[in-house]
Amino acid sequence: MASFSGTKINPAKFDKSQLPFYIILIPLAIFMILPIIFIFSHAFKPLDELFAFPPTFFPQKPTLQNFRNLFSATSESGIPVTRYLFNSIFVTSTIMIITIFISTAAAFALSKMKFKLKNIIFEINTLALMFVSTAVTIPRYLLISKLHIIDTYFAHILPLMAMPVGLFLIKQFLDQIPDSLIEAAKIDGASSFYIYRKIILPLIKPAIATVAILSFQIAWNNIETSNLYVNNESLRTFAFYMSTLTSNVGNTVAGQGMAAAATLIMFIPNLVIFIILQSNVMNTMAYSGIK
Amino acid sequence: MKRKNIYGYIFAAPWIIGFFIFTAYPIFYSLYLSFNKVKITADSGIITQFVKFDNYKYAFFTDVSFLNALVTFFIQLILSVPIIVVFALIISLLLNSKIKFKGIFRTIFFLPVVITSGPVINELVSQGATKIPGMADLVDINNLTKSLPLIISQPLNYIFSNIISILWFSGIQILIFLSGLQKMDVNAYEAAKIDGATMWEIFWKITLPSIKPLIVVNIIYTVILLSNFELNPISSIIKINMFKLETGFGYAAALAWLYLIFILIILGVYALFALRGTSD
Repeated sequence: MASFSGTKINPAKFDKSQLPFYIILIPLAIFMILPIIFIFSHAFKPLDELFAFPPTFFPQKPTLQNFRNLFSATSESGIPVTRYLFNSIFVTSTIMIITIFISTAAAFALSKMKFKLKNIIFEINTLALMFVSTAVTIPRYLLISKLHIIDTYFAHILPLMAMPVGLFLIKQFLDQIPDSLIEAAKIDGASSFYIYRKIILPLIKPAIATVAILSFQIAWNNIETSNLYVNNESLRTFAFYMSTLTSNVGNTVAGQGMAAAATLIMFIPNLVIFIILQSNVMNTMAYSGIK
Repeated sequence: MKRKNIYGYIFAAPWIIGFFIFTAYPIFYSLYLSFNKVKITADSGIITQFVKFDNYKYAFFTDVSFLNALVTFFIQLILSVPIIVVFALIISLLLNSKIKFKGIFRTIFFLPVVITSGPVINELVSQGATKIPGMADLVDINNLTKSLPLIISQPLNYIFSNIISILWFSGIQILIFLSGLQKMDVNAYEAAKIDGATMWEIFWKITLPSIKPLIVVNIIYTVILLSNFELNPISSIIKINMFKLETGFGYAAALAWLYLIFILIILGVYALFALRGTSD
């Protein structure tokens, strides 16, 4: 709205107009970030402070004990935490890469190419977007058991590959890129694959980054696949392990500290991925080459 | 033309295969199951028995909890969506202006996106970190809500006690708005400014109409985000019924389809309002 202030048409007003922005933004920003600080401080609290009432915001005696407990703990079947972490990292990165490739390709086709079923496909996708995901778990289970991929990494990866949200966001983004850009490339003799690689992918970087973050989150935080489609404990993911920490009967008190530490460990990759990708996400889309 | 066709299918094929096998097929299979009484046995998979509309009748006439939850959720949705979209619009306008530390602010406002799904948010909610303790108990607010009829005070209480989690849902929407705002033509602003338009006029006449499609996208996105949020009351009812012996998966599937229809109606109403409100 105020981006034209920078054009210095009215420089005197520019300085004054900055202040109200800060007055609104700073308190809101603090407000939004509080719970995130809470995650950090909670993980370093000793047990007695975790249960203190009223709860303290910052730990009085910060300790690493929660992390030590977490990493020395093994689940009932004797599988170390690192194994769960490896599974999570492997599954998540595979899903992210596959999701990005197939959803950008499909969005390109649905947005810029002409073929018969394209509208129907997009409408079914939008419908799927709104469907409660818990309700498909049982039909999905039957399917996965029919395909004989229970207890394999495929059971983690395949169901999450084609993310409806991903296609929706990328297609919406692509629709705003002018067709004339692609037509120009076509006239110059570029093939569809060349256009996809050299024009579409660079242009939709912000959308790709957003979808990467979303697919990372969905995959990294997913408990369902470990819970339902995988019985082999050594193939389950860290998110699943974390959810068992607090619910394990008889271990709830010590579990709380470990859960707080595990929450932080769950959260940090989210944060890292976000910081890596955010400059891309936030980047100006520039002008798409045509005015 | 023919070649074009083939390329379209080639590009879309991997996604279509993945989507139809693992998402579309289970969804439509659940539609079939919603007309059945489903029993799941350990050895032979599932046993279905066709019961016509019994599951749907049960949801409306016997099971009180579903309709109650639906009404509660409906009120929450109607309140939250405008708050989130307007908040996202204001923040993105502020972030699009020339101020220092823009990057840091943008990061902070987008950050909640990375925690509003999965076990982390479960932990936070169970520890009460998403509520402002005592906000609803403040004397002024308490008096205010007491003096109002229940229909108004209940939603007010909901807003006051959940404001952080409501605002947390605005990350992606801020991003969508920002990308739209940044693509706008600076020349249009300059021209308007030279013609003597005020900031207020520029906002209503230039900015708002040009991001209208994004408002619709954001409304749809927000409704979907809220309705698929795993801690929302209806998801948990569906989950509970899935493994209940008396009701079973057939009933859970019926609930899921009713819920879908409900969301579609809400989306339709919102989209109509959004399109009509900004078209003139």
